[in-house]
Amino acid sequence: MKTMSRNNHGMAYHRRRRATVWAGLMSCLIWITLLQEGITADEKEWPFYMPADVAPPQSKTIPQEGNEIDTFLLQRLGEKGLKYTEKASKLTLMRRVYFDLIGLPPTPERIDTFLADQEPKAYERLVDELLKDPRYGERWAKFWLDLVRYADTAGYEGDPDLPHAWRYRDYVIDSLNRDKPYDLFVKEQIAGDEFHEVMGAGELPIPEPERVVAMTFLRLAPFTEPRGNETRHELLSEMTSTVGSVFLGLTVGCAKCHDHKYDRIPIKDFYRMQAFFNTVQLMPPERGDAFQIGGSMPASFYRKGESEWAEAKRAEIRSRKDSYESMKTRLRIRAEEAKRQEKPLESTDSKNEKPEINLDQWVENPENMHISPEERQQYSQLRHQAKFVSQHLKRLVPRAMSLRHSFGPPYEPGIPVTHIMLRGAYDNPGESVEAGFPSCITGHQNAAQIRLDPFKRWPTRSRRMTLAQWIASDKNPMTARVIVNRLWMHHFGKGIVETPSDFGKLSGGPSHRTLLDWLALKLIDEKWRLKTIHRLMVTSAAYRQSSTVFDPLGLEIDPDNRLLSRFNRRRLEAEAIRDSILFVSGRLNPEMYGLPIFPKLPDGIEERVKYSNSKWATDTGPESRKRSIYIYQQRTLTMPFMQSFDGLVCEDTLPKRSTSITPLQALEMYNGTLTQEEAPHFADRCFNDASANPEDRLSLAFKRALGRHPSSREVQLLGDYTTSREGMTQLARILFNTSEFIYVD
Amino acid sequence: MSTNPLKATRRAFLERSWNGIGSMGLAGMLADDLLGESVNPIAPKTQHTPRKAKHCIFLFMQGGVSQMDSFEYKPRLRELHGKPIPAGQAVAGELQGRLSFPHACVGSAFEFKRHGDTGRWLSELFPHLARRVDDLAFIHGIKTDNQNHGPATYHVTTGSQFPGSPSVGSWIQYGLGTQNQNMPGYVVIQDPRGAPCNGASVWANGYLPAVHQGTLLRDRGTPILNLKPPAQVSSSLQREEFDKIRQLNQEHLLSHPKDSELESRIAAYELAFRMQTAAPEAVDLSTEPESIRKLYGLDQEQTAGFGRQCLLARRMVERGVRYSLLIHGVQIGSHSWDDHGNVEGGMRKHSREVDQPVAALLEDLDHRGLLDETLVVWASEMGRTPFVNTSQLPKNPGREHNSYGLCMWMAGGNVKRGATVGATDAFSLRSMGAPIHVRDVHATILQLMGLEDESLTFRHAGRIRKLTDIGGHVLKEIIT
Repeated sequence: MKTMSRNNHGMAYHRRRRATVWAGLMSCLIWITLLQEGITADEKEWPFYMPADVAPPQSKTIPQEGNEIDTFLLQRLGEKGLKYTEKASKLTLMRRVYFDLIGLPPTPERIDTFLADQEPKAYERLVDELLKDPRYGERWAKFWLDLVRYADTAGYEGDPDLPHAWRYRDYVIDSLNRDKPYDLFVKEQIAGDEFHEVMGAGELPIPEPERVVAMTFLRLAPFTEPRGNETRHELLSEMTSTVGSVFLGLTVGCAKCHDHKYDRIPIKDFYRMQAFFNTVQLMPPERGDAFQIGGSMPASFYRKGESEWAEAKRAEIRSRKDSYESMKTRLRIRAEEAKRQEKPLESTDSKNEKPEINLDQWVENPENMHISPEERQQYSQLRHQAKFVSQHLKRLVPRAMSLRHSFGPPYEPGIPVTHIMLRGAYDNPGESVEAGFPSCITGHQNAAQIRLDPFKRWPTRSRRMTLAQWIASDKNPMTARVIVNRLWMHHFGKGIVETPSDFGKLSGGPSHRTLLDWLALKLIDEKWRLKTIHRLMVTSAAYRQSSTVFDPLGLEIDPDNRLLSRFNRRRLEAEAIRDSILFVSGRLNPEMYGLPIFPKLPDGIEERVKYSNSKWATDTGPESRKRSIYIYQQRTLTMPFMQSFDGLVCEDTLPKRSTSITPLQALEMYNGTLTQEEAPHFADRCFNDASANPEDRLSLAFKRALGRHPSSREVQLLGDYTTSREGMTQLARILFNTSEFIYVD
Repeated sequence: MSTNPLKATRRAFLERSWNGIGSMGLAGMLADDLLGESVNPIAPKTQHTPRKAKHCIFLFMQGGVSQMDSFEYKPRLRELHGKPIPAGQAVAGELQGRLSFPHACVGSAFEFKRHGDTGRWLSELFPHLARRVDDLAFIHGIKTDNQNHGPATYHVTTGSQFPGSPSVGSWIQYGLGTQNQNMPGYVVIQDPRGAPCNGASVWANGYLPAVHQGTLLRDRGTPILNLKPPAQVSSSLQREEFDKIRQLNQEHLLSHPKDSELESRIAAYELAFRMQTAAPEAVDLSTEPESIRKLYGLDQEQTAGFGRQCLLARRMVERGVRYSLLIHGVQIGSHSWDDHGNVEGGMRKHSREVDQPVAALLEDLDHRGLLDETLVVWASEMGRTPFVNTSQLPKNPGREHNSYGLCMWMAGGNVKRGATVGATDAFSLRSMGAPIHVRDVHATILQLMGLEDESLTFRHAGRIRKLTDIGGHVLKEIIT
């Protein structure tokens, strides 16, 4: 983040221009030299060549607990006269790896068993346990959803609901938990409908529901009302840019309007890549969804128990409406009775006529003594829930917000021609182009070979699969590097390449080139299974270092700690903060998957952003206390809690969250509803579970909230709070607001 | 470039935080001027070019204000009332599409008169603003990238028709910081009847750090969300707990020596504590004298809503808030300026709601000597067409969207009083000369706040980003 002053900027600009001219001249010279020396054009600059198959450096200083990662890191540190700092304590490491892998703190019971486990591989076993824990998928899916700018609404005016989007969220969680090979994960999302070969003159195979759901990926860009060719152009461009930055780590989108300013991505390459998507076919929107871009595709349930779940859910939702209706009938009779009693002198003629009653007003009137406050509350809840019944039922229909390839002639329009759109404008076509891969990687602009079915019955098919196979190939230099770098960033706080969606010139290059290469090849060797890479990273000695005790020399030589002479302390993401509060108060609903949840918002702010009707189906029951990944992602309304901790509903691909510090966070954590609601539960829980000894209560509270015992100083400071439940509630508020609660060492 | 690496990290940390200060004592924290530019991302910063304006009030009229019923006098339209626009207009895009459909011109139902020393034509709908007309500089024929409310609202409020970009206020706070650290530097005062198109993303920080997001000043409950401690927690109890939190956090800091991020978090708690008092005081209108309440129209039903918004904006200026975004109108419906039907009735209603409050704001600021240091901008997301798209003129005709005819005005600071830039044709259909683009207007706003659009940059996703994207032309005609 830098504001350049005017003059500086001017200077910088001229320097840059001069530098560009020089760089141009120099590269010409180099090219001439290379050509003279007979070096082929295949010699590319980093990162466009395959990762080098390097052996980890040999080193005598490798810590006992560690792996190959450390040999790379220690070599670089050694060159700078640095080394690892001391190991983090067992407790610190445990809390770190818990948040890192499952996004929640360890329980006091697990802390005790882990501390008691003196076996040499106790930590490794803990890591394996966490990687098998299904909460791993719930944690890591969020990072992926940020990248693909997942939301449950389309954004813009009206912000229309996308009732089937949530299936994709579940698909990501499930895929991660099953450790689906990453190359398959890529292919499913880009070309889930083109997996099966079409032989002979057979029917088009029906894609697996899971793969139909996966392709929701291509439809998550925010959109406003459809506008013919312009919208289609934007739709295809969004697919192109996102595939480029998410899978290839290239800001391909910059070349939509002009040649990339820094990287070798000419505008032609953007449209060559866009051509792979040019045969996609969207279903027309359902009636009443005029503002939405495209409808849905059938995608029946595929996870075990899913359809039974949906059946039960449907019945439950319907019953809400029934309870509302029957309560309405009951109250109406009572209201009529009451009205009659109020007006006994009315003429007898009207006896058979029903008095006019506005039931809502009658019920909500606090002075109405014919109804109890409990009934009043129940009525208002039922009424609110009934409003959203049809919306919920729609979500349960087995469909996905997906797409397919066009059927081509004679069924649907033929193969469209892709043009370069000058300045990125939809109505400004330039030369026509053929589908092809980015030339900065392949070294040429030849058309890609698209393998059609033998009878060429489906000439519009296989385009996306051609691209997907090239991306998800062992031979693609970018794909594996980009994903291992993303994992690295989430584990170590910074990527080996600091800009995880941009491996181009502006990235500044990798801090450890050979390590990145080694990890990329390792992923390919391990059949693209991400959990093996997670395991390697979190069991390295680098990961087990302390973040608090370190050599000041490291700070001086390497202030940003890119060489990792210590661990990087980090703040939890908004989701992890909310989940932790609910977890330690004992009220987190562990149920996985399913419909979006709608936790209570402060002061009815959902009503303030309504369009024709609010979409926020507020729920205060256990459903609303599921993990944050299930919260409804409404583009025009981010939950204030999430927003204050930098958790946005994504409009744009988000490779990295910021971590700002504002007074609004303090107001949220201290005064906000979540703390207000959960602090007493936390207090009760500690009160009930600990012995009557106040010191025990304090101990348990500390262990739950911070994963450690209180110091004697803290016992002195806070001991008084443990004598009553009210005191314990105060203690809960205090603990939730400590830095330690939201920062992980 | 700093030679002290420790300082460099500290800086990196602190640039992301609200108010990072090394001093732990409460007294130290209260002294705002102790906070150097280097450690606090929203500490006041030097302007790129010296300009008078220190604050900006952005008045956004949701829905698309009809320019030919307000600030553009087009007598020709009366002659053409009920008839189509004469053939042969050099129009493109959506306008071309609209004109190819049956349409009938709608002459303005309102009387226009000349006002002020400048003799500017204004419609009868703005009698109060007419008194201040010499303060204003008008921009006519502004072109927005899209003619739908969603994208056009984004375009005018964030510089891009696509969501995800920082709003104008975020950029200004990013560039200039803010003066009063007890209040947010960028506040949003929305229409009490509801939210604008696109909701809160209209004041979002986009890819800038979250500290630069607009803070919604609410009109019910506490002025800022969560400003009040839970009911059972008294102020003294809260202070006691805050002290305990501070002690624990300081203890924690001992094991993280020199960790500026944790230091600023401690400071943020103290700021939050003070904001609990500062913010309610800032929005407490009960101390305003009757004459002022009357001036802003708080005593009348139609003007009370926006009058309150405008009066709050003045109080924000007095308290050193950098940027106030005021929104009038609600998405779509009768409370929006989106008058596709009955533009006469609609315009009467909307202008009645804002005319007196806006004029009062200018007058009040001027009276207090604050207009000189405050840039006031009047905007909407688009203009409207001179015609209605129907084959027969209906009884109460309306007007359609026109992304070629947005009219805005500015006042205060270094705005040249009575100036005009740009002009629309005889029908108010589109700009007569080269169209003025929204990015030109944004470059001008930045310029009037002392910022250069080319220098106010942020690197995001591999690109150097700016409010004006490819750069705007400053409209020098309206700057002194």
